[in-house]
Amino acid sequence: MAKKPSSDQKERKPQGQKAVSRRDFVKTGAVAGVGAATGVGATVLSTSGTALSQVSPADAIQWHYEADIVVIGAGCVGLPAAIRARDLGASVIVVDQNFDPGGKMLHSGAQVSFGGGDPLQLRDIAGEKDKEGFVTAPRQQSVEELTEDPDFLFRDHTDWSVMDAAAQAPYRYNERDLHRAYADNCYATREFLMANYVRMGRISGTHGNGGVSRARRAVCFLMEGAATDIKKGTVSTQDAGVEGARSSHFAPRPMGDAAKVASAGARSNGAALARPLEFSAREKGVQFILNRHMDEIIREQQFSGRVLGIRASYSPRLDPQTGVRLESLWQNGNVDDRRETIYIRARKAIVIGAGGHGANPQFRSMFYPAWREPAFVSSGWALLGPRGQDASGIIAGMRVGANLAGMQQNLGYAATFHIPGILATRDSYTDMFPGHPTFSLRGSTGINLPNDSFQHLIVVNQVGKRFFNEMLITDRKGGAAFPAGPNKGQPKSGLNHVQLDWRNASVENIKATYAEPNSIHAALAMNEGSTAPDYFSGPIWAIFDRAAVERDKWKIEPPFTSPSNGFFFKADTIEELAAKVKAGHEFQRVPLTHLVETVARWNSYVDKGRDPEFARGSDAPMYKIEKPPFYAATLNPVWHDSYGGLRINGRAQVIDMQGEPIPGLYAGGESSGGGQQHGLGRALVHGYIAGTNAAKESTT
Amino acid sequence: MDAPHPTYVVVWDVPTNVVVREKFTVKVGIKCSNGCSLASSPFGLYDHEGAQVAVGTLPDEQWPDTVGLHVAEVELEAPASEGLYTWSVKRAQSDLEMPHAESSIEFGVRVVGRPECLVTIESVDKVTQAPLIGARVVMHPYRVVTDEHGVARVRVAKGNYQLFVSQTNYLTCGLPVDVAADMTTRVQLDLEPVLERN
Repeated sequence: MAKKPSSDQKERKPQGQKAVSRRDFVKTGAVAGVGAATGVGATVLSTSGTALSQVSPADAIQWHYEADIVVIGAGCVGLPAAIRARDLGASVIVVDQNFDPGGKMLHSGAQVSFGGGDPLQLRDIAGEKDKEGFVTAPRQQSVEELTEDPDFLFRDHTDWSVMDAAAQAPYRYNERDLHRAYADNCYATREFLMANYVRMGRISGTHGNGGVSRARRAVCFLMEGAATDIKKGTVSTQDAGVEGARSSHFAPRPMGDAAKVASAGARSNGAALARPLEFSAREKGVQFILNRHMDEIIREQQFSGRVLGIRASYSPRLDPQTGVRLESLWQNGNVDDRRETIYIRARKAIVIGAGGHGANPQFRSMFYPAWREPAFVSSGWALLGPRGQDASGIIAGMRVGANLAGMQQNLGYAATFHIPGILATRDSYTDMFPGHPTFSLRGSTGINLPNDSFQHLIVVNQVGKRFFNEMLITDRKGGAAFPAGPNKGQPKSGLNHVQLDWRNASVENIKATYAEPNSIHAALAMNEGSTAPDYFSGPIWAIFDRAAVERDKWKIEPPFTSPSNGFFFKADTIEELAAKVKAGHEFQRVPLTHLVETVARWNSYVDKGRDPEFARGSDAPMYKIEKPPFYAATLNPVWHDSYGGLRINGRAQVIDMQGEPIPGLYAGGESSGGGQQHGLGRALVHGYIAGTNAAKESTT
Repeated sequence: MDAPHPTYVVVWDVPTNVVVREKFTVKVGIKCSNGCSLASSPFGLYDHEGAQVAVGTLPDEQWPDTVGLHVAEVELEAPASEGLYTWSVKRAQSDLEMPHAESSIEFGVRVVGRPECLVTIESVDKVTQAPLIGARVVMHPYRVVTDEHGVARVRVAKGNYQLFVSQTNYLTCGLPVDVAADMTTRVQLDLEPVLERN
């Protein structure tokens, strides 16, 4: 990477005699009556419309930095793309809006499904250990369940006939070119990850929508040891955290036990994938400009020519208590630039790995208007901050002419939007504990309840009315993946699944296997508190009493709840509880007018032993809500992963509205569309492909 | 004159079933929304026909983990015939140092005949076969908890029930039982799977 000379780090606007700032350039064009709204014109015209001079589009901007490859986002697309491009000799700058690399991958479960005869499938078939001897657990799947080739994987990922338990077809709409390339690159990507310090255990099952016919999932791990040493594959106890008690900067969520698929002492979650990739990228000379949000991709013309670089704004995240800027765990390779706006030139290519649109209410409402409700966030909200998953990569691509793909596929996976069972936190998908720098932004870990514990409470909407059977409220089906079977929507499971068999999609099979509870839709429904024009559903609340806490041994003290973050309330009476919720929760726009009546009615149902409204009583015991104090805790719907985004081809090139690649522009993961596979596997392969091809671009 | 302070009434620890004409107790809590002390304030309990069946006086004592909720325990007698009755607690308007509005709450009283059958339930972990201590056993309206041996005994009337056994972190087991005489059943519970997140 080359840093352009000049610049006081505190200056806020690019300056220079020779070069014109892009803002000035566009302004000049506007005065002249030319110039695109967002693109950079290649020609400066006089006011009469006569060409004054020919200026190279790239020279029209004062670039503050330049590199062969500019990667937007340091997550599961960006890190492999950056490493791969460096391996092929390119200089790489990674820009991320957050203060620490890793993206959403960092808080994930590190479940990586590839397949097609990938190196781990072959390792398990042969019954071999890993080269370090960490993986000593026995094989989890039979040889037959592990045996396949890329052609088989490709058919699995484009099988029109598979229907899931929500009556969705998760493979039918996948882009064929994209998934052919996916199948052909799984082997290389698995190998690439392992060559960059990622350790993975035995193959066990397959992750959501990763195919129904074979086992393809491996979980990443590090071995607990005296010190964290990525090269040696170890993580200290301090860095691994303590399940149920403490996180660390290294691992936002405490790392779990992976002994079953590796050996005793193996600890797993997204940190075991993200941190090794980050370590490798830094070691290989990738440079990181963190706290920097990509606002615009700059192309020669708005809808034609190569992409030139990006404009990015300073996006620091501050500790709410101290006001101090949050810093990355590791610093080597960081470029700390605090100017308001900078321009970064990409000599070869730009790779968009900026994540999806799950945290952008306006964007996600394209798929589901009720999701315009701003109360609900995307998973990893505290970790990623308010600008994470904001669709900025997709929007920037659209502004330079990119097409979109797979827009309907948000409806094809049950975890896309759902109601997790973690109460009393806005960040309801995961269970961060104190120890990570963003915990103070979250304020509470949350009360993590399994489905069965919902027998002890009722759930009400923003006006205090029940709206669904609480025993089903966090239940979700779908996710057709090996070994699948009737509980996932397929008539046959595992090796017995028949690819492309019309019977998989028969009316009879759908009738026999449909099991989607639809609670999320009831939660998002209009109610008496919904008003025009958006008719927001408002928050939903779990209501329970002291007896429930004692009976089911819930942890409701800090850090599981916070007395001040507005997501958990305690009161002596139901009347007072309703008043506290109205006064203390940001999105409680109306009073819970019906709460007292609802609790009284519920208690009468308990006396009768049945619930005529939502059929409680036949599936689990019912308990009165009567013993003070009383509690209200949010049950926050979350938009987890998102589908639908920039259309890319098998080379991960972004495709325009005419079906042509936009020169120099690549994308993958949740910034791209056309792939319904859940989780990390799809994005990692996209990153590998994008890095490979971006590095091969000619230099401009 | 200032508007009367609202007051709120709570009733809890009402037995899920009471045998005809037997004594039982409930807890009554009352508080002022403005935090005034209601110590020494009277309240009344009324049956399904509106007849007063008990009176009480709020003590100084407040319920733990609450702010200003005075609590009293009241003994009552079940009606003479089986059924589900709606009773109530009322606190009349009063003028302490400040006027306080009246308030009330209803609660259900399930009256049953004398149970004639003894049901014994043994609850174990399905995999380890270890006894589940403190498991909740519900045969509506009868409820009981397993002892240190994972065993619960409950007397019920003859009839058909849905027997539930539940325990923290386990999947609730529900099965229909027809009780015609003393009986014993063994219930094996599965641990609830931990949801994988990615």
